[in-house]
Amino acid sequence: MKKAIALVAVLLLSAAFVFAGGQEEAVEEVGKVKLTMLAYKDLADPVEAANWQIVVDTFFATHPNIEIDIEYGFDEPFHNKLQAMFVADQLPDIMFLWPGKRTGQVTGSGKIKDLRPWLKGHEDEFAAIAVAAQGRGGEIYELPEQVTDCHVMYTNEKLMKELGLTFPKTHADLLAQGAKIRAQNLIPVAMTNKTQWQMQSCLLSALTERAGGMDWYDRVIVGDNASFADPEFVNALSVIDELAKEEMFSPGINQLDYGQALTSFVTEEAVYYIDGGWRANNMVGELTDEQKEYVEYKTYPDIPNQKGTSGSTASVAGTGYGMHSRLEGAEADAAWEWIWFYSGPVGSAIRQGFGANPAYKMPTPGKLDIMVKKLIKFVAETPAGYVIDAVMDAEGMGVLHPAIQEMMMGKKTPQQVAEEYEAWVAANDTSRK
Amino acid sequence: MTEKSLKRVSYTVLTGPAILIYAFIIIFPIVFSLSLSFTEWSGLDTPKLVGLEQYVRILTDPVFLHGLRNILLVVAVSIFGQIPLGFVLAYIIYRRLIVGGRFFETMIFLPITISAVVVAILWNQIFSPAGIYTALMRMIRDDPRYVLGIFESKTFAMVPILFIILWMYTGMYMVIYIANLQRISPSVIEAAIIDGATEGQILGRVILPSMVNIIFTTAVFAISGSLKSFDLIYAMTGGGPAHYTEVIAIYMYVNTFKYYNYGFGSAVSVVIVILSLGLIGLIQIIFRRFERMYEA
Repeated sequence: MKKAIALVAVLLLSAAFVFAGGQEEAVEEVGKVKLTMLAYKDLADPVEAANWQIVVDTFFATHPNIEIDIEYGFDEPFHNKLQAMFVADQLPDIMFLWPGKRTGQVTGSGKIKDLRPWLKGHEDEFAAIAVAAQGRGGEIYELPEQVTDCHVMYTNEKLMKELGLTFPKTHADLLAQGAKIRAQNLIPVAMTNKTQWQMQSCLLSALTERAGGMDWYDRVIVGDNASFADPEFVNALSVIDELAKEEMFSPGINQLDYGQALTSFVTEEAVYYIDGGWRANNMVGELTDEQKEYVEYKTYPDIPNQKGTSGSTASVAGTGYGMHSRLEGAEADAAWEWIWFYSGPVGSAIRQGFGANPAYKMPTPGKLDIMVKKLIKFVAETPAGYVIDAVMDAEGMGVLHPAIQEMMMGKKTPQQVAEEYEAWVAANDTSRK
Repeated sequence: MTEKSLKRVSYTVLTGPAILIYAFIIIFPIVFSLSLSFTEWSGLDTPKLVGLEQYVRILTDPVFLHGLRNILLVVAVSIFGQIPLGFVLAYIIYRRLIVGGRFFETMIFLPITISAVVVAILWNQIFSPAGIYTALMRMIRDDPRYVLGIFESKTFAMVPILFIILWMYTGMYMVIYIANLQRISPSVIEAAIIDGATEGQILGRVILPSMVNIIFTTAVFAISGSLKSFDLIYAMTGGGPAHYTEVIAIYMYVNTFKYYNYGFGSAVSVVIVILSLGLIGLIQIIFRRFERMYEA
């Protein structure tokens, strides 16, 4: 009898433990919001990966009720993945987006939520360009992480001094430095141009404003008595053509993968290096303290027949995270928690420490890395024009970029490139319709 | 139930599921793609019927025509490079015309076991402007700006890729041929030797006639595989610079998934199917002639 009572007691206790455990687990599951995310991150880049890991770890530590399953992509593979997900109607809950036409098909599809209701009251906390309308109805689809200057001419002043050079005032001055730099087995201007955006984003966009000025730039976008076949755009292309002909760029520039020019600059094989302001991240992690003292942020010198602003760059409201329109209630709030965390005060402070120039307005801490301080000053002081692929259709880049590559290889003239691109834009670009 | 109707029911039950699965995963996408090819569709809105417009656009686009030229080069290398080379290597190893046949067999087969993307990266590490070969040549020629200029030639940019394709896939054909050569009875070859046949006669009169079918099969593989060429080239050059190394599969991919032109992309896929069937049909005609020749 005793044995029977003991057996029943054990069974009851076991059952109680099982149910109690199950309930506890259920409570934990009920309180947790699970989301999916497609992040834009080069995890092979040690600086970016370390920065990202701190952001993510801090978020999860402070938001234990949110679980995010993260997928990663970078450069073209990211866009391929995003588009495949979009077409298959399998967009994640949170995704990295561009403010302009780069991901315009996704943001303009109605599948991305307008963030304005959440952002309301915080607008003034961001740089004005960052909270500008991204949709035709004034929608904000992604909260910009930073204001992005796409053209920076990184300059190694120590090498320049050793070579007896000063920063060129004009395009002709720069070309004149070429022979002296090459004679020392150095690269005058390190740059890569294998994939379809670098030359257009990081140099041609700035040169287009220089050549035509903002009034002409505004008119050419909509085709108001201006076209890409105008002498202004041909002039901008001619600068690139001359740089290529005069062997100013990295050898084999059109075959070089993105990132290889950065290596040339960091290892001091190049005097100048043209890339976006986002490369400040890498400068923080990869330059030595001594190098950081003599690497400066400049813009391309004045070009012939310049109508635009001296020293201008090309700028775009930064990229950031947005959420799927299907999210409602707790899920939408959790998605916003991430978006706000990443681009708001906490995430911005972490990213600033790694070299970002956040769109979120914040005081510049004294301890900040010198390369970040230089970037903040550069962004604040440098006038900016548009980035072409932020204002013109992405498909047109498939015409413009290969044509630029052919021009750089001596197979096309700047005039031909300009005419080809204008023909495509006139017939197809949504800005002209 | 009569025996005839019982048979009919049995056939239906046995083959029905397979036919349904085949129809769903093979026939439906082809038919869907074919119907989309007559439309303009971005993936969002309602497809707009445009008739043959997409085909006209494709056939007048210089980028497509260059991609077509490039893919035909890949087909040519497969048919006239991989297959004969694979056969010759298989014959040398099978007839033990060299020592260490096993070692060579393994070495030649090895590349096919590596992922195409890895192969692309490996070769890029050698020939890119930041690669080993370039660095070596810069040192030897004392020219810090040396790059392999062939990649910047519209005519010859495909040559290094064709070489890699030859290197990568020849081993697969060699193994197929060795397996089939081993099925030929040694006594037939011994009899030929006793009758005084030379090596050439053994190859032409004994081996080749019994290998016609497998050569035809591998030719079909080579054509269909070549027309699908994508991964290796995309990972290596992305079709660039300036479309010089673009093949029609990349052209289709870029237009479909990068620019959201689903109607246009579908039309390109239909062109690839037609091209594939046409080339396979041509190969079939040629091999039937060979068969008849050997039967005679």
